[in-house]
Amino acid sequence: MRTTLPLVITFIVGMIMLGEAFIPHWRYRVISENMFEWGLILAAAAFLLGLINLVQVNLPKVLRRETDWGYKAVMLVALVATLIVGFAGGADRLNNGEAYKWVFDFVFIPLNATMFALLAFYIASAAFRAFRARNIEATVLLVAAIVVMIGRVPIGEALSERLPTLVNWLMEVPNTAARRAIFVGAALGAIATGIRIILGIERSHLGGD
Amino acid sequence: MYRWFVRFQNMDRRWIFLGMAIAILLPMLSPSSASFSIDRPVRDIYEKVESLPPGSTVYISADFDPGSRPELEPFYRAVLHQLFGRDIKVVAGTLWASAPPLVLPILQEVAESHGKVYGTDWCFLGFKDGKELAIKAIGENIPKTFPTDFYQTPIEELPVAAGFKQLKDFNLLILVSAGFPGIKAYVLQVQGQYDLKMVGATTAVSGPDYIPYYKAGQLLGLSAGMPGSAQYEKLVFLDAGTCSGFEKTFLNSESCVRAGHTWVKRPPKVMPERLLGIEALSVLNLGHLFIVGLIILGNLAFFVTRPKGVE
Amino acid sequence: MSTLRLFTMFWVLTATAAVGLTLPSPHALAESPDAHASAVSPSDDDDSASSDDDDSASQVTEPVATEPEPAADIPQWQANLQVDAPPYNSGLNLELSWTVGEDSAVPSGWAVLRSDNPDDGWEVRTEALTPDSRSYSDKLTDDPLGEPVLSKYHYRVLALPTGLTLAAQEPIEAAGSKPQQKENQNLAEHEQELSLYAQTLKEAQGKKIAILLGTAISSPVVAGEPVATLFNSSVGYLMMLAIILAVGVMIFYFTAQVRAGKEIFIRRIPGIDAIEEGIGRATEMGKPVLYVPGIDELQDIQTIASMLILGEVSKKVAEYQSEIIVTCCIPIVREVADEVVRAGYTQAGYADDYRSINTRFISSEQFAFCAGTNGIILREKPATNIYLGRFFAESLILAETGFVNRSIQIAGTAEATQLPFFIAACDYTLIGEELFAVSAYLSKDPRLVSSLKASDWVKVFCVACLVIGTILATFGIDFMSTLFTMTGG
Repeated sequence: MRTTLPLVITFIVGMIMLGEAFIPHWRYRVISENMFEWGLILAAAAFLLGLINLVQVNLPKVLRRETDWGYKAVMLVALVATLIVGFAGGADRLNNGEAYKWVFDFVFIPLNATMFALLAFYIASAAFRAFRARNIEATVLLVAAIVVMIGRVPIGEALSERLPTLVNWLMEVPNTAARRAIFVGAALGAIATGIRIILGIERSHLGGD
Repeated sequence: MYRWFVRFQNMDRRWIFLGMAIAILLPMLSPSSASFSIDRPVRDIYEKVESLPPGSTVYISADFDPGSRPELEPFYRAVLHQLFGRDIKVVAGTLWASAPPLVLPILQEVAESHGKVYGTDWCFLGFKDGKELAIKAIGENIPKTFPTDFYQTPIEELPVAAGFKQLKDFNLLILVSAGFPGIKAYVLQVQGQYDLKMVGATTAVSGPDYIPYYKAGQLLGLSAGMPGSAQYEKLVFLDAGTCSGFEKTFLNSESCVRAGHTWVKRPPKVMPERLLGIEALSVLNLGHLFIVGLIILGNLAFFVTRPKGVE
Repeated sequence: MSTLRLFTMFWVLTATAAVGLTLPSPHALAESPDAHASAVSPSDDDDSASSDDDDSASQVTEPVATEPEPAADIPQWQANLQVDAPPYNSGLNLELSWTVGEDSAVPSGWAVLRSDNPDDGWEVRTEALTPDSRSYSDKLTDDPLGEPVLSKYHYRVLALPTGLTLAAQEPIEAAGSKPQQKENQNLAEHEQELSLYAQTLKEAQGKKIAILLGTAISSPVVAGEPVATLFNSSVGYLMMLAIILAVGVMIFYFTAQVRAGKEIFIRRIPGIDAIEEGIGRATEMGKPVLYVPGIDELQDIQTIASMLILGEVSKKVAEYQSEIIVTCCIPIVREVADEVVRAGYTQAGYADDYRSINTRFISSEQFAFCAGTNGIILREKPATNIYLGRFFAESLILAETGFVNRSIQIAGTAEATQLPFFIAACDYTLIGEELFAVSAYLSKDPRLVSSLKASDWVKVFCVACLVIGTILATFGIDFMSTLFTMTGG
């Protein structure tokens, strides 16, 4: 029963949602849209569980003064403080002068932008490490990368008027062709995975047979 | 020399980070300008907006966050200046929870600089959760999806948005999107079903993903990354000069104005203090050159230090 | 009950339900203008201009001679407003289309009015159509259960001269805005105010429609009947159904072949082999395995595939007596991952070794999640990092931090924008469909392996269609693109 019931539920729900693509009748859509809303409600309820998990994992480490407990303490204090100012601000929390807006403007935005900015440095480091002409394919990758990087900026146009045209061709033809191939393959893999789950063939998420 | 190459190959990553930091900071401290041409997909966006008659209304979905702000904010500002400068009304919304505090102040600032009034000339509907479902809902019924705007005013009390039931009712859909949900979701969910006229601006990483949509005509124009934003700024603010025959004939006549015996581009009504996209291009220049230089030197070091007879 | 039996039973039940849901399917029809000359009844507030309007509705091919405001932007109607039910539709839409005379000027805009019964008055559906609009899709109701769809709706399209929209809006503006509940006002009083306001608004809307009908040029009244389609039998959808059924049938066929003793060849995928090696490495070093199932919602197919793989991975980790840390960006994914890992440990026979505390929700904000996971990598120093699922900009940051930690890194995603970063920074990368093959590859279950074979054959079919379609399209034959065009939905 432990594995059969989830499989039966998966099959019924999966077939209903699969049927939505082929049955446009509004009576059927009412059923499938309601089910999707149930999923959204469940996901929203899970946020509370996520919050509990955060506290469950980190608070004992702070209390026991484990390694790097200070970072966890900062995280918990920030969590509680943001919750309090958010609830206190209510519908007006994003107005100028509100504490929540201050947290957003002067903590969240700079930190978010900083993390994104790390990408510039990591790209340089990863490119330096990865782009080596070890074989023919790696050499083609290397040359294409250099051409696109130079051609995308004004210096490329200054070097040669044909460079941006070549770059556009590279992006629009071989690059698009390769992406489409990945899309088709991934879509077929997704269909096969979906069918396996709906038919109950795939059971590894339930502990197997 | 050999030992230098060995040390170069195995150097601490922090030297690379330092070099990158210098390559970024130097042009920021003393920006230089370089000429650049306009790509066809970016020009298509500009011409599409220019062809809208004054009094039209467009829907903007502004879906970006602080991380993608440098790439998309210049485009967002430029297109808002273009729209308000041509007396086109704007209804804006977003699908990203972290976007409203970012996109609304910019919209407000540009609207006020053009003397536009909230509710009559522009409005902001706020954030709608639900990703693809939200897009479908917006496509089908805007008042039901956004019964009130961001300030809790009922949508039927906003003259600028009151008559619009579906996305199809707008003259143009402008998508400023940093990822998911964004351009791809709009194309898949609503573009074909309602045959919407859409243009998009996105980050450089996502740009290649949307080229097939542009080629297929599902997107009428596409701007990718900071270069795209800089090109758009140039078109809106700087690209003065003689109007071509095409522009005189096919674009709205307000794009070109008489100047003696010739027709010239109508200058922008409001000129911002800084053109962030164009300024950032010099940073891109040096940053890309630095990475290319690293790669070339790295490969040189690889070949010099490679044991002989090994491929 | 076997899967095949369940499958068959479901389709029998669906067919039975289909009979019960069948609606009659009449045609959309256009009524003659003469018949509607009396059906189009003016409201009490209409002035004489509207009766002129009715006369013009019955003489639709002739230009209107006597108009109160002969503005230059009025078109000449040619009585060809059409109201059709879109093909393969839910039954909640009707499509309007109209043309104007070649010589006519263009109005400043169009409005669409609808009525259940023209004798009872009209409702404005839209008044914001641009001058070049020639079609409109009307959603009949947003709540088909609360506000049932009728069998017939009547439409008329108005050509609006300049300034009419503003003039027509005046009664609505005069009605004022919806009254808000004041402080110290009780609910009953407020509801009475709302009721009065609703009445005022209704009267104002009647005046608005009278102004519109009195001044704009109207098309003839045309009726349309919505049609709800039970099954989308357009070519594209049938093709999609055929592909899905083909995959299902081939899975059963190849499974039968495997059970009969035939071997199915799967090419070696180094990235998947490396998963087991990585788990072994982690056990030897006494360090945990880090598993990141992407940052997208649970309903994304890549996240689902990642959960399936997590089941196999956690089983192997349990067998190796190692530790697995799973970091999740979405709370519900964390709950599902918790159960999956628990099931994996239980199946391996080490249920007591499972620690729920190792499946962690970090943050639903992308870069906060990235920073938290980086912290785990730098502090807990996992020997093997497995990134399988849907990733965005954080992919490179995670991979580079893992590199600093000297972890073995195996990544897999169908997100094409992130593949270059994973390829540059990780030791092994699974591209696109290889992500969906992992659970079959690891488990070696014949049914799962046969599904790989089935999707491979469909891929061969798709490639053949692409090649043939390209050749045919070169000669102007669009047969293939027609085959895959999806109508309706």
